[in-house]
Amino acid sequence: MNPRILTFLRGTATACALALASSLAQAQLSIEITGAGTNRMPVAIASFEGEQTLPRAVTDVVRADLERSGLFKMVELGPSPMGADAPPDFGRVRSRGADAFAVGTVAPSGSGRYQVQFRLFDAAKQVSLGGQAMVMAPNQYRTTGHRIADFIYEKLTGEPGVFSTRIAYVLKSGQRYELQIADADGSNAQTALASKEPIISPAWSPDGSRLAYVSFEAKKPVVYVHSLATGQRNVAANFKGSNSAPAWSPDGRRLAVVLTKDGQSQLYSVNADGSGVQRLASSSGIDTEPAWSTDGWIYFTSDRGGSPQIYRVPAGGGDAQRVSFEGSYNVSPRPSPDGKSLVYVARNGGRFQVTLLDLNSRQTQILTDSAKDESPSFAPNGRMVLYATEVGGRGVLAAVSSDGRVKQRLSVQSGDVREPAWGPQPRN
Amino acid sequence: MVQRLLPRLMAALLAGLCVAPAAQAGLFDDEEARARINALRNETGSRLDKLEASARAQLELANQIEQLKAEIARLRGENEVLSNDLVNANKRQKDFYVDLDNRLRKIEAPAAAATEVQPQAAPAAAADPAAESRDYEAALTQLRGGKYKEAAVSFIAFTKAYPSSSFLPSAHFWAASALYQQKDNIGAAEHYGKVASQWPEDSRAPDALLGLASTQQARNDNVGATRSLEKLISRYPSSSAAQIARQRLKK
Amino acid sequence: MKYTRITLSLITVGLLAACSSSPSTEGQSGATVEDRPSGAASSGVDSNRVVPVDANGAGGKSAYPELKDPKNILSKRSVLFDYDSYVIKDEYRSLVEAHAKFLTSHPSVKMLIQGNTDERGSREYNLALGQKRSDAVKKALTLLGVSESQLESVSLGEEKPSCSDASEACWSANRRGDMLYSGEF
Repeated sequence: MNPRILTFLRGTATACALALASSLAQAQLSIEITGAGTNRMPVAIASFEGEQTLPRAVTDVVRADLERSGLFKMVELGPSPMGADAPPDFGRVRSRGADAFAVGTVAPSGSGRYQVQFRLFDAAKQVSLGGQAMVMAPNQYRTTGHRIADFIYEKLTGEPGVFSTRIAYVLKSGQRYELQIADADGSNAQTALASKEPIISPAWSPDGSRLAYVSFEAKKPVVYVHSLATGQRNVAANFKGSNSAPAWSPDGRRLAVVLTKDGQSQLYSVNADGSGVQRLASSSGIDTEPAWSTDGWIYFTSDRGGSPQIYRVPAGGGDAQRVSFEGSYNVSPRPSPDGKSLVYVARNGGRFQVTLLDLNSRQTQILTDSAKDESPSFAPNGRMVLYATEVGGRGVLAAVSSDGRVKQRLSVQSGDVREPAWGPQPRN
Repeated sequence: MVQRLLPRLMAALLAGLCVAPAAQAGLFDDEEARARINALRNETGSRLDKLEASARAQLELANQIEQLKAEIARLRGENEVLSNDLVNANKRQKDFYVDLDNRLRKIEAPAAAATEVQPQAAPAAAADPAAESRDYEAALTQLRGGKYKEAAVSFIAFTKAYPSSSFLPSAHFWAASALYQQKDNIGAAEHYGKVASQWPEDSRAPDALLGLASTQQARNDNVGATRSLEKLISRYPSSSAAQIARQRLKK
Repeated sequence: MKYTRITLSLITVGLLAACSSSPSTEGQSGATVEDRPSGAASSGVDSNRVVPVDANGAGGKSAYPELKDPKNILSKRSVLFDYDSYVIKDEYRSLVEAHAKFLTSHPSVKMLIQGNTDERGSREYNLALGQKRSDAVKKALTLLGVSESQLESVSLGEEKPSCSDASEACWSANRRGDMLYSGEF
């Protein structure tokens, strides 16, 4: 490998380690599965040959990922590892009741690195479903595990997995606010920004390299754009009055923001560097919480009709259409990645709950049984919805599948977690 | 309001400032000067009161505007909900109508056929409606399952067992379809022809004519096929079967 | 332009008042001072409130002691709103008027108005509602002659609650517009 790249990698690794050390102790998110699908596919992940030399087994990560998705049930195959090259023992796997299974080998590949090879099999049809080989540093066992889990998930469900994605959220402990980035399973949390003033509304750029958010460090809400790899940030909107609710355009070039420079809260768009401000829509009431869909709409919350409801305008300009009609409080819309459905928070008799609206049939479904849900956002494959809620007076993150069956919860030992945003698929 | 009051206030002020030199000039005595100052003070005071009152009135007005805006928003919201309800109601009404129309056709067609073709057909031994629909469903299930031979036998048996059934045109139609699938073109043509001639008002009549044409084509009876397709187009010009017929005629 | 005229007229009133021998100057200049027996009413809360403001005052900035004098109405900075309401209640009129008067007579002084809401519902929507409250205060001040350039209205939404239990008393305390002068923010 190019020595300069190596030095750079080592540099970032140290920086990450420092950030980790400061936050890891008290702020580690722990995940808990609170509901699972009804028909879970039995799957076995045999321990990989040679993986005991790693700091932690790759297959532990794979199993935890698949289990957490709520779609699979892990089947134990016993302690003896199965290598990627050995002929698969279909009889043994079938006798344990697994429909599919993976085997693999971890072997040193020189200069302290390891090659990980694995294969996936359909146990019933006794055929190979493919495999992969990758080279990694020993401390990258998590990343590797997530990628293997993504491969298996996609082969078995036909949809891309989201185990390699990241989430952003705000951790509040005492009077300290931290904007953190973690793996989708809550591990590997790193602080991108720490402040004594509130931070809200983080939004991922479509390529996952930047976050836009609202920080109150100037005693008023100002929108910043923050490059995660460098820590550099710039002001994207700091006009007279309040600046908030950033949302990226699908091409990652512009941000929809809410400004009050011309009166009450209205929708505008700006370039990510803060230039080129333009009005997106105008109304006699509050317009806020814009969200761009991939099929050309901007969804937003407006009280132009006397109560907060969800509306949409064509991203290229045009008349607003009302989208939500049931109830008197519907806020925080987020369209699904395919643009076919919408999640938002609806108030039902004093309870604020994440609700799914099928934009074609107009059918709604309340996805949660909690009471203080906020800030929903879709996973990039549209399968799960991440949101903030409260359990025992503490802010926690939760995720629910878009059919309402699979449920997970992410919380920290002390402090409140809130304002989650699910990041995009990583670009390889 | 404020703008109009202010210049007058300024004038009062200037007048007040003039007082002092004037007094020195001996035009007024002290008494008179004091009285004037008092008068001026009272006037300024009352004008200031008015100014404040007007600012207060503006505040009041601003509050009222705010309340009116809220009321307008509420009305706009009501309007949005009502127009959405109307759109939904219209759509639902249309769905109801289509559904009702389909049901009525099923009832009317066999009744009309019965009076025309079999005016004296004695009602067959008290038909059991439950058994009737059960047998029909069973035959349909066979057809759906691809058991064409069994389905054809069942539908033909059905037409004999329940000659006054409202399902009769459908049973003939499905019998024809099942026979056609088995390449029994003659048998299929018989049943398709029956549906087309005996129940011309039935919703399946256009499809029956199309099916008839297919069986004729399969037997290389191109003249007959063309005649059937033309009949279909002239009788049921707007049916989807007629559209297919037009395409076939073009070939 | 408007405020300079008002300032002039206020000076005039002062002049005229000074000329008169009678001491009966009601309203205007002084502010309605409650003559409290010292010590008794000014509890520990009052002195607590002063200390942090002084700490924030950045030394020489406390050029206007009346803003921090607990006996002066100008030391009161909060306007409370009813639930789902964005109009200034009658009971806060005199407070807003007092601040308007101070700002018109000190045109170099700037004010930041921060709107707040209770914690229920969406953070971003609450931010917009807080803005409606700060805008209401700003609107009232401009109607009373304060120049727009002296004022900025912003929102803190539900992010900076003055108390945090889930009770109506607490929620109503958080439905608030706060007025901060230059040097205090």
